Amino acid sequence: MRERWTYIVLKAVSILVLFLVMNLLYKQLFFEKDLQLYSSLINLVRDVPLEADIIYLGESSNNSAREDDLDKRKISDFIADQYPCLALYDLTKPAAHAGIFKVLLQHMPEESEVETVIVTLTLRSFNAQWIHSPLETSLRKSLVLLKPYPPLYNRFLLSFKAYDIKTKEEREADFQEQWLADELHFPYEFPHKDVQKWDRWMAYSGIRDKSGEVDRAQTELACHYIKAYGFQIDTLKNPRMAEFDAIVDLARERGWNLVFNLMAENMEKAEQLVGDDLIFLMNENRELLLNYYRAKGVLVVDNLSGVEDSQFTDQNWTTEHYAEKGRKAIAKRVAAAMKIWYPDDYWEAGY
Amino acid sequence: MLFNTIDFAIFLPIVVISYYLIPYKYRWVLLLAASYYFYMSWKVEYILLIVASTLVDYISGIKMGQLENRRSRLPWLILSICVNLGLLFSFKYFNFATENLNLLFQKVGLSQEIPAMSLLLPVGISFYTFQTLSYSIDVYFGRQKAEKHLGYFALYVSFFPQLVAGPIERFSRLAPQLKLRHKLSYDNLTNGLRLILYGLFIKMVVADNISGIVDQVYAHPENFGSIDILKGIMLYSFQIYSDFFGYSTIAIGSALLLGIRIMDNFKSPYLAKNISEFWQRWHISLSTWFRDYLYFPLGGNRVSKYRWVLNILVVFLISGLWHGANWTFIIWGLLFGLLYMGERLVNGAFKLQKVHSAYSAGHILLAIKTFFLVSILWVFFRSQSFEGAISIFKLLFQDGPANPQYLLIPLSTWIFLMLFIVSDILLYNKRFDSWVGRLPYLLRWVIYGVLIFGIIVFAGVENFPFIYFQF
Repeated sequence: MRERWTYIVLKAVSILVLFLVMNLLYKQLFFEKDLQLYSSLINLVRDVPLEADIIYLGESSNNSAREDDLDKRKISDFIADQYPCLALYDLTKPAAHAGIFKVLLQHMPEESEVETVIVTLTLRSFNAQWIHSPLETSLRKSLVLLKPYPPLYNRFLLSFKAYDIKTKEEREADFQEQWLADELHFPYEFPHKDVQKWDRWMAYSGIRDKSGEVDRAQTELACHYIKAYGFQIDTLKNPRMAEFDAIVDLARERGWNLVFNLMAENMEKAEQLVGDDLIFLMNENRELLLNYYRAKGVLVVDNLSGVEDSQFTDQNWTTEHYAEKGRKAIAKRVAAAMKIWYPDDYWEAGY
Repeated sequence: MLFNTIDFAIFLPIVVISYYLIPYKYRWVLLLAASYYFYMSWKVEYILLIVASTLVDYISGIKMGQLENRRSRLPWLILSICVNLGLLFSFKYFNFATENLNLLFQKVGLSQEIPAMSLLLPVGISFYTFQTLSYSIDVYFGRQKAEKHLGYFALYVSFFPQLVAGPIERFSRLAPQLKLRHKLSYDNLTNGLRLILYGLFIKMVVADNISGIVDQVYAHPENFGSIDILKGIMLYSFQIYSDFFGYSTIAIGSALLLGIRIMDNFKSPYLAKNISEFWQRWHISLSTWFRDYLYFPLGGNRVSKYRWVLNILVVFLISGLWHGANWTFIIWGLLFGLLYMGERLVNGAFKLQKVHSAYSAGHILLAIKTFFLVSILWVFFRSQSFEGAISIFKLLFQDGPANPQYLLIPLSTWIFLMLFIVSDILLYNKRFDSWVGRLPYLLRWVIYGVLIFGIIVFAGVENFPFIYFQF
């Protein structure tokens, strides 16, 4: 019996040693190559010098410009203009959201001297279509090797697809399901129970042009606006809230000043295409986010209606891509709000 | 739930541990629940198809069992066949049939158009319908007694290790094992784990690393020179083999952990000396199914020469169609049939039936010939359309584009492919678990180490589902 137990213990120890050696081998010989292949977004963090004072986490809204812009620089560059004595660096990843920003921030080295973190807060990222976007699979995959576990274990998780690996069809089914599940509540009588019914009603009734004909392009755009903004954030159920909450906790832990930059949406177009009902929902969500995160000590800069229609680069789609004037307007508001921490470093830009 | 995912890595140990912990009489309940859960992880609603198929075949079986002669049993057999093939037709072949009928209507100037259905093909439907059909046919012929326990019958239909891509098991082989009081056995556990490890390596390291390369060639063959197209064709032969062989090996290993032995589905098919032998070594459970339930009932080779030719062509054509609702599969099957008969003809005329001992020069040359022939036919299997397949062949013999794209095959992929080929040669007529079990302790553990390290570190990270799941 004793011999048998010795054999089992010996085998268990051998297996443990085997895995330790494998982990060491992997870490030394293959891990960096895999990081560059599958999780190259880590380079965004690595590129930030330890002496950086402020970091700006953004998605495509930060670096999208219009062809006729004279100054095609990023929003983060415009903010940096207004704090010339501080070192501001951006971590920009298209289609990123709070879930990605959280992981990037977790990888900020302990020795980093960063004082302030500005995080892009996009209202649209709370909607079902973005939460269940087909891009999620590759975004989630890119985070697996960055998990706080031994490298070999992370590679095991990557090899065995231990991330949200749904197909495009499955994700579509998910957001369709959520559209049906999330009922819309208005303080007044509203004829559509959920976003899908609202969308269908719009598609059937259509937007008419001056001659009374249905304008297909405008109707399609209106439907798209309904699907993009026709939701009410549930602070308990919406996964994006949990991700932003985690960023708040991390900032508290690391002693960072935290700014949430609520990005501008094309409210003019929303009102023109769909009307007050959609504006009501957008404002309600705005109020919720402002109150919720301000109560948690976050400096939330409200840009939601801060960019006029003509400054939106994409007129036939909902994006947070702004022309120069729009980008500058956002940067100006963010920079001005940050004066509370850097009153002596602030330099008012001439735009 | 794919075998190469973390979900299965959690699911399987839970099932195995629970299986040996709970009292024997509840084991079938556990396995049935686990099997249904496994299937529902793809699409919950499709469990209804398995349940429907199970109930119809169970009732048909019971009814046939109660009747004395075949004539009175026939309606129940017809019911079973109609329901199973009806399900298969609705989900797999309906759109293909309507598409071709609509084309035919167009050609003859009719304006009717049969609308297509937007149904997602249920995973493994071809496998479990064939498995349960074999039961009904066996009961009809009196070769099998009807199963009275609905639970065990349902488990036979849905046993999770082989539910979605086989091996297609016979009732007489699998069902008695499901009822046995299996004790936890060290040999079964180690052999099962060995097979799972080897299967995962073959699928995740060999097949998945080749997949992306082959996809490039088949997506845009016009971008590549003929050498790279040839590489793509050859690599696909290894991809489909390693993918399906890997799956079957994991399935056999998973069942063995529960003490259940399911049949081997592959025996080094690319070492076959001719097409006939290839089919005795490739997807054995399907080949034997067609032999027993189609070829023999058609008369096999105990008929006139012309009838035999027809029988062979029918079997290969239906085998092709079984793989998918596309003309490429039908042509692939027919070509295999023609090749099979051609070889028989040539071998007969030139008296080439000589037996070559394993690994002899004759064996190697014949195996290379068979491999090349099979590889050429895989082009039809892999291509999305007949025109696509033909364009691959044309491009193979053309100069290629002025600025061709070069097919980059990483060194690691070559190394793992070579390892796979060598292991397949070493395992000719052997199975990995018993082979590795006889090796000296240290060497055995070195092999385990290489496999584990390879699976973790070199597995392809793209999500390439098992090829045979689509059938």
